[in-house]
Amino acid sequence: MTAAIGVDARVTGAARYSVDVERPGMLHAAFVRSPYAHARVRSVDVSAVPGGCVALAPADVADLGRYGCQARDQRVLADVARYAGDVVAAVAAPTRAEARAAAGLVAVEYEELPAVFDAVAALAPDAVLLHPEAAASAEEEVSIGVRPVPGTNVCHRFRLVSGDVAAGLAEADVVVEETFRTPSAAHVPMEPHAALAEWDDGRLTVWAGTQTPFNTRADLAGLFGLDPERVRVVAPPMGGSFGAKTFVRTEAVVAALARRAGRPVKVVLDRAEEFVTLNRHPATIRVRVGARSDGTLVAKEVDCWVDTGAYADCGPGVATKLGYAGVGPYRIPHVRVEARAIYTNLPPNGAYRGYGAMQSVWASERTMDVLAGRLGMSPLDLRRRNLLRDGDRFATGEVMHDVRFDECLQAAADAVGYEADPRGKGLCVLLKGMQTPSRAAIAVERTPVGYVVRSASCEMGQGVRRSIQLMAAGLLGCEPGQVELPDPDTDVSPFDTRTTSSRSTHMMGRALAEAVADLRSNGGERGFGEVRDGGGLDPDTGQGIASTHWHQGAAGARVSVDEETGRVTVEHLHGVAYAGRVVDRAGAELQNEGSLTMGLGTALFEAIDFSDGMVGNSNLSDYNVPALGDLPGRFTHELIEREGAEVHGLGETVLPPVPAAIGNALHSLGLHLRDLPMTPERVLAAVDARDGRAGGNGRGGRDGRDGRDSGAGRA
Amino acid sequence: MTIGIRLNGRHTALECEPTDLLLDVLRDEGLTSVRETCGIGVCGACTVLLDGEPVTGCLTMAGHARGREVTTVEGLDGAHPVQRAFVAERAFQCGWCTPGFVLTAKRLLEENATPSDAEIAEALGGNLCRCGCYVRITEAVRRAGAEMAKDVPPNNTGRKGA
Amino acid sequence: MTLGAVEWLAPSTLREAIAVRAERGEEATVVAGGTFVGILINQGLLSPSALLSLGDVAELRGIEVAGGELRLGAGVTHRTVERDPSVRAGWPMLARAFAVVASPRVRNQATVGGVLADADYASDPPAALQALGARAVLRSPDGERAVPVEELILGWYETCIRPDELLVEVRVPPSPARAVYRKFRSRSSEDRPCVAVAAARDEGRLRVVVGAVAGRPQEFADVCAIAGGREIDAALAAEIARGYADRLEPIADARGSADYRRRVAAVEVRRALEELAA
Repeated sequence: MTAAIGVDARVTGAARYSVDVERPGMLHAAFVRSPYAHARVRSVDVSAVPGGCVALAPADVADLGRYGCQARDQRVLADVARYAGDVVAAVAAPTRAEARAAAGLVAVEYEELPAVFDAVAALAPDAVLLHPEAAASAEEEVSIGVRPVPGTNVCHRFRLVSGDVAAGLAEADVVVEETFRTPSAAHVPMEPHAALAEWDDGRLTVWAGTQTPFNTRADLAGLFGLDPERVRVVAPPMGGSFGAKTFVRTEAVVAALARRAGRPVKVVLDRAEEFVTLNRHPATIRVRVGARSDGTLVAKEVDCWVDTGAYADCGPGVATKLGYAGVGPYRIPHVRVEARAIYTNLPPNGAYRGYGAMQSVWASERTMDVLAGRLGMSPLDLRRRNLLRDGDRFATGEVMHDVRFDECLQAAADAVGYEADPRGKGLCVLLKGMQTPSRAAIAVERTPVGYVVRSASCEMGQGVRRSIQLMAAGLLGCEPGQVELPDPDTDVSPFDTRTTSSRSTHMMGRALAEAVADLRSNGGERGFGEVRDGGGLDPDTGQGIASTHWHQGAAGARVSVDEETGRVTVEHLHGVAYAGRVVDRAGAELQNEGSLTMGLGTALFEAIDFSDGMVGNSNLSDYNVPALGDLPGRFTHELIEREGAEVHGLGETVLPPVPAAIGNALHSLGLHLRDLPMTPERVLAAVDARDGRAGGNGRGGRDGRDGRDSGAGRA
Repeated sequence: MTIGIRLNGRHTALECEPTDLLLDVLRDEGLTSVRETCGIGVCGACTVLLDGEPVTGCLTMAGHARGREVTTVEGLDGAHPVQRAFVAERAFQCGWCTPGFVLTAKRLLEENATPSDAEIAEALGGNLCRCGCYVRITEAVRRAGAEMAKDVPPNNTGRKGA
Repeated sequence: MTLGAVEWLAPSTLREAIAVRAERGEEATVVAGGTFVGILINQGLLSPSALLSLGDVAELRGIEVAGGELRLGAGVTHRTVERDPSVRAGWPMLARAFAVVASPRVRNQATVGGVLADADYASDPPAALQALGARAVLRSPDGERAVPVEELILGWYETCIRPDELLVEVRVPPSPARAVYRKFRSRSSEDRPCVAVAAARDEGRLRVVVGAVAGRPQEFADVCAIAGGREIDAALAAEIARGYADRLEPIADARGSADYRRRVAAVEVRRALEELAA
């Protein structure tokens, strides 16, 4: 099935998405979810499920093992429910309504267990252990070297050591220490998760809205004891994803249901279920940084408690990236980072646009402004003094090339007029890595009317199909409209690591160049190209190659504050991304705007409210995402390009710096925010703290209900 | 039960219950531009026009549409000024929310072909785009309005009360 | 979210509607625009066996001004109220309070009667109507009664409407010379209110009603009485605002904690009074 490449389908209604897949004879699934955050499943009684429905109970999946992209800690049906919403049984029926009704008739007996809802608390000696046996995944082709700490809730511990941080801090003239927190947040793709599974003669086919077809194939094959070639994953376009639709989410349950039913089974989640499927990692991050009185950074320690929820998913990868991104784009001789992905009884957290960078950039860049204040320096000057340049070594030991941090920062500063008057303005500059190691392959074949390009890059609105079309047309000397791009299909698409990390245009572009060269050199009918990037970081030292090229960006913000209510107005927000070479200009600009807009939500009001592990705001009235009227009066962005440069991914780059830019703008007004989101309530508490009023504790309460926990730990 | 409506210009007999949601009934008719997204009427992705006015498909029961005119983007010819403007400005990314925006903008511009930025924000505030295309969507609305303003008959100011 | 077999009762006259209501009482859920009932059904909070739809009752969609009093049919949509020339001319604060609800799409369906009968704490019109002294007309086969908003809304999603009554009309007395409606949102520009204040001043009487902070709109006549017939200067505005802050017992929800609401209510009441005096 080729989804329309032409943009018209989106305005005519002809566009088809993963929710629209249908197969003859299909049934519809509904899930039975644990109401308890932590409970052993004693029994599942499906006897009340009407005939005509198919039920999936623990006995039906007893032969299936565990899965998980970086730690194999998940079962198809939970035998121990580890979060409120964990799937313990499932039903398939001729209609969705019947399935939901039938799911309500499944009787489950639970034995409640103690639960923990906070990453820091989960490390207490007497904290309940969610996964007494660690099980690192060997399947992950780009394994990051998972380091669980046995006997604890730490499913992965990333360390980076460069130099001697104790000595470095001792020689510093000024040392600043701050702790920051970020809550859990929801991706809120407009299209919910959807998957359809069908078995045919021992072969499994799954149509799923997913960014990771090959990872999913590997996990399903492993689960059902099949050779990977006996599993086919097809990825139709998605109505947004932003990381939510990664790795196995609903696919294993529907595959098991389809196996049980002997018919295809489809599931489409509803909005409330979206909030208990995959969320953003809450984090508590303590930064300690030392500098000489002239502003030269000498040492930095970053300690991160990263709440990965009930299952690891890609939490180890996120913790690693969050950890090294927290160093920042700076020359610092002595660095120590420790980032721990920690289990709690919250829904699993996973890939979320930025992949951990937002959380640590918030902490690191806010600390820079605090440090600047202590030094009596301009935050801009402090950064400029220490920014990495071409040829410098980053804390991972890698030599930086094609470095543009200074340009990005300067552009942000210029846009908001920072140097003329910094009051009410804030800056942030960041570095973020691209998935490394990784592999991308692509195939090109001539057709009577043009070419067909087979790529496993998944379309979720980021415009990767358009980019590949444009690049292919450029290389092949044809019109973009002559390039056909079928949906990713693991049966026919060459291997690609996955569509994450803003890597696809860059990696597929390189693979395409190889493929076209191959095509040209052997008759012009078909060509194949593959690129492999080695690298990766030693998880115990943080040394190695974090990224073959760096995502570099900055943001500047100008704000005003109603100091009686704490309401912040972002007057101007400017995002800068180093693009290198731009393939699809409009697409790149759209990605910048999308990232900035999402960053605004993260900065000002997005947070999942948990109360004893239950989501309190699982709908779009109680959980707000930015609307048109939320855009700043001045909302600008730019792409920095360089002749002859590589394509630099930018699908995420300008999201992470938005909260810190706004937070630093508030800081310039004497308002010191440490926790996201920067709600009016928290800003008002900061106003109180600044003005020495009783009741101002500098932290403020975001929580709607007293005693509620937004999932971020207290260090 | 049979409920007669005028759907995208054609008399259509819907085989459904009056309490069935217009969202579900229209999707059953193959009109997949109407999309279940939030279930509570805040996101606008299931917007349809009822007698030309935007309503929330997931909160409208088929019984309330009896005898009335229902329009989805499939009922536009693909070359409506709003549709063409969205394409020209590339005012979308994943496209899921686009039909809701197109119908809402169509109605706005029929009433007021030269809305201010504030009027556009007000009219489109109930349509969410998580991909964040609001800037280009606003541009597309202005562009479509400029074209539609030329078609406004002389004795119609093209503006209703702001 | 489909319901399965649900009885659909769709009278086309008001007389029929009242008869059906009296006959079926609470067993048939009344639905007008459907923007509230629809949400309850979609979220699985309501599974009615019968729905009494008022959508075909044209008599409920009238707007008229009679003897200086504004009469809004219960079936009149928010969108109609916000745009009606007589409402905008004679009750501009009311037009505004309806205009700030949700989005035009929602306002195309949500009705005057519905927003009062739903008694949703975080909606705008009830506080505004109360401050203007509006009364809801409740009609049964035995007759009708006109109930002030403050007596209509009893608490969380609860009204005094009896099982044999339908809310058919809202009557609003001539508007005071000065009336304001302020809506404070703590998150998105599309968010529901965190705190809302409706204030109206006639020569003798000041009314201040705070919405979205408790189960029902909050009004303290004794605090307002401090004003007497005096002009409201900054000090008086602050005093009344403090009085409200002292008396309010706000709730906490996704939009703010109780303490924050109390604090903002004081600011917004004061600002509303300053606006009134300006």
